[in-house]
Amino acid sequence: MSSSFPSKSGAIVLLIASLMGLAIALYAYFTPLTGVTGTLGALVAILACLALAILALLLASTQGPGTAIFLRILILLGLGGTGFAAVLLHQWWIGVAMVVGLIGLILDLMRPSRLAHS
Amino acid sequence: MTTRLSLSSAPLMSFKPGLSAMTALTLVLTPLPLMAQEVSVENEPSTAQDNAPLETASSAAPIPLVPGEPIWDSFHGQLNAQKYSPLDQITADNVADLEKVWELHTGDVADGSGDLPATVWSATPVFANDTLYIGTPFYRILALDPASGEEKWSFDTQSSLEALTQPALKNRGVAYWEATDSEAGEPCQKIIYMGTMDAQLFAVDADTGEQCADFAENGVLDVNQWNDTHDKWPLSLLQPPTVVGDHLILGWAGNDWAYEQAPPGTVFSINARTGEREWTFQALSDEVREQSGTANVWTHMSADEELGLVYLPVSSPSPNYWGGNRTEEVPLGTSTTAVDIETGEVVWSRQWVHHDIWDYDTVAAPTLMDITVDGEEIPALLQATKMGFLFVVNRETGEDVWPIEERPVPSGDGSVEGEVYAPTQPFPTKPVPLLDQSEKPNVWALADAVSFGECSALWDELRYEGMYTPPTTQGEGTLGYPISAGGVQWGGVAFEPDSQTAIVNTSHIVQYIKLYEREAYEKADSGSGNESGFAPQEGAPYGMRLEVALNRWGMPCWEPPFGELVAIDMTTGDIKWRRPMGVSQQYGFFMPERWGSPTIGGPAVTAGNVIFIGASMDAKVRAYSLETGEELWSDQTEAPSVSNPAVYEYEGRQYVAFVSGGNTILKNQVGDQIAVYALPE
Repeated sequence: MSSSFPSKSGAIVLLIASLMGLAIALYAYFTPLTGVTGTLGALVAILACLALAILALLLASTQGPGTAIFLRILILLGLGGTGFAAVLLHQWWIGVAMVVGLIGLILDLMRPSRLAHS
Repeated sequence: MTTRLSLSSAPLMSFKPGLSAMTALTLVLTPLPLMAQEVSVENEPSTAQDNAPLETASSAAPIPLVPGEPIWDSFHGQLNAQKYSPLDQITADNVADLEKVWELHTGDVADGSGDLPATVWSATPVFANDTLYIGTPFYRILALDPASGEEKWSFDTQSSLEALTQPALKNRGVAYWEATDSEAGEPCQKIIYMGTMDAQLFAVDADTGEQCADFAENGVLDVNQWNDTHDKWPLSLLQPPTVVGDHLILGWAGNDWAYEQAPPGTVFSINARTGEREWTFQALSDEVREQSGTANVWTHMSADEELGLVYLPVSSPSPNYWGGNRTEEVPLGTSTTAVDIETGEVVWSRQWVHHDIWDYDTVAAPTLMDITVDGEEIPALLQATKMGFLFVVNRETGEDVWPIEERPVPSGDGSVEGEVYAPTQPFPTKPVPLLDQSEKPNVWALADAVSFGECSALWDELRYEGMYTPPTTQGEGTLGYPISAGGVQWGGVAFEPDSQTAIVNTSHIVQYIKLYEREAYEKADSGSGNESGFAPQEGAPYGMRLEVALNRWGMPCWEPPFGELVAIDMTTGDIKWRRPMGVSQQYGFFMPERWGSPTIGGPAVTAGNVIFIGASMDAKVRAYSLETGEELWSDQTEAPSVSNPAVYEYEGRQYVAFVSGGNTILKNQVGDQIAVYALPE
């Protein structure tokens, strides 16, 4: 199947979404009156978004299909968990970022055939 | 049980100028409440002759229960403790537009991680003298511009910041008094009072913040000079005095659970101008004072100036969870007691818990209200309790409005030496209890599942045969639903007089209490937190442990909701509506709204048909519709607002002020924020 998307576009979308989530989580953690200022939950969201950003970079650079599948599973779990945490933290914009990240992951799912022919 | 209450001539005569002769006769002739405990007053019963001066007094102008003007000059807004404002600029229709117009961080806050103990700030801002006054947990008084929050003056008591009697530095604000016959140009015609944990009552000029030289010793009254029995700790003045005319009615707080014997609960009437002691009220007999102690008044009081009565919410005797040192009747313990404002003599008293061994301190000022029941207008008093019961009586006589029945309650399991148990306890028939304490609460399946059965295993080890199941040494102890954490706390009940609706927030919290024989206690004691963990009850044969029933993840083991807001039609005693209130929060994660939140703090209600309240774990302050209970507005604050809001009008604009100070009982979060809201100009 041919694709109109550049091969790394999905990972890039995922990376941007993770960084967006990270920025929002940092804001929520450090800014007064967010409702989650200084809480363990907001700290977990920061670390989760950071981990997602790193995974997105790894995904962008990986060549092996097995590694890519493994990373995608990790990322999917990360997106789901962070999105759920965002809902419980009432940090709706982190949730939106995770949805965008999911779109990036879906875009990246189109990459295997390209990987095989690259 | 026979009730005998003698009314002395002195208190009746002292009802002037407001009490009508008819009211006085009612007091004398009305049969007393069946289950009120025996109260002996030294003087002879009153006679018709005693009432003669009252007929003269009846020509004086009546003092309305609900002030005609908007007033918020005391802890519960008004002396009737209704927490009601007739202001209607903010309504249920426009409250959604409310915006924060100013906020202030006092800087007087500690989370307990450094040298200072954590702070617990439960003050209600007081609006008087065109100024907003507030006390802080570092025992400073701030005078603020009501519209901008700009500081007019501040006064620092220089009190040592030591948790002498409490696990935290606590403050519930200030009191305000002004002379009715003020002399122009003289200082201290308007005074702000605030107490400290080390029992010093400060009086400062409300205009300047200067100490009032004519009050006690240069503006400082050492209340601890009267701490003469079991003076193991100072009489901590955390609650501001209740100001009635020229009297400061002053209770105090102590160090619960530490000792078998403790300072006995004395209430003082202090002259507002001079600081001189006028009278004292003792809840305990001389004998029980020596054996036991406390039965103090540590929360606010209410007063009916027309009747000349102040209503004392009296707490339980000492120690809280073992009563073997006070097996005789203690009729004024855990009661609401009406005393004469001028003399302090008891006019009537209703005991809500006989032989209290559950720490069911009467926890809030009773709310005074005029209600119409079955076509009859009744001067009523509603007493909220930790048990979740709302007792409604006639505030002139203490008689039931709706029947309050004595019902049999569980006895002990024989494991506690020296203890005696009351065979019956008072149960109100209306309004219905705020929570169903008749059966052991169900284990919450979710909390049980994620803790691999921890909750159900705990439940199996806890004894519960309904309300008033006594403490035990067996298993994990006795389940308390509710116990020390309430029910209702010091925020009390608000009342909207037009619709005759009472509003109260309540918590649903399961705790468990276990007694340990002394040797076992010494082995088991692993420390304590804020009103939880181990406490020695030193001198008693038993130490104790009190815990909230949580699983290993900190989830409640009982089913939600964990807190509710309830509206009651006081013409029928029926519930108008009830709804989960606030949102529980753990590690920052908010739980579903239908689970509600435990609550500490209380409501305010306005003629705009709006209820304002903080009180929840999520540190939000909210507005609800008085009519339907619908949430109409909310805003995030720094920490749970564990106090009552204040509603006031200044230069034609209505404001709502919240203090967000937090309380570690509710959540490990402290704050120093005053947040004030109004409609956009």
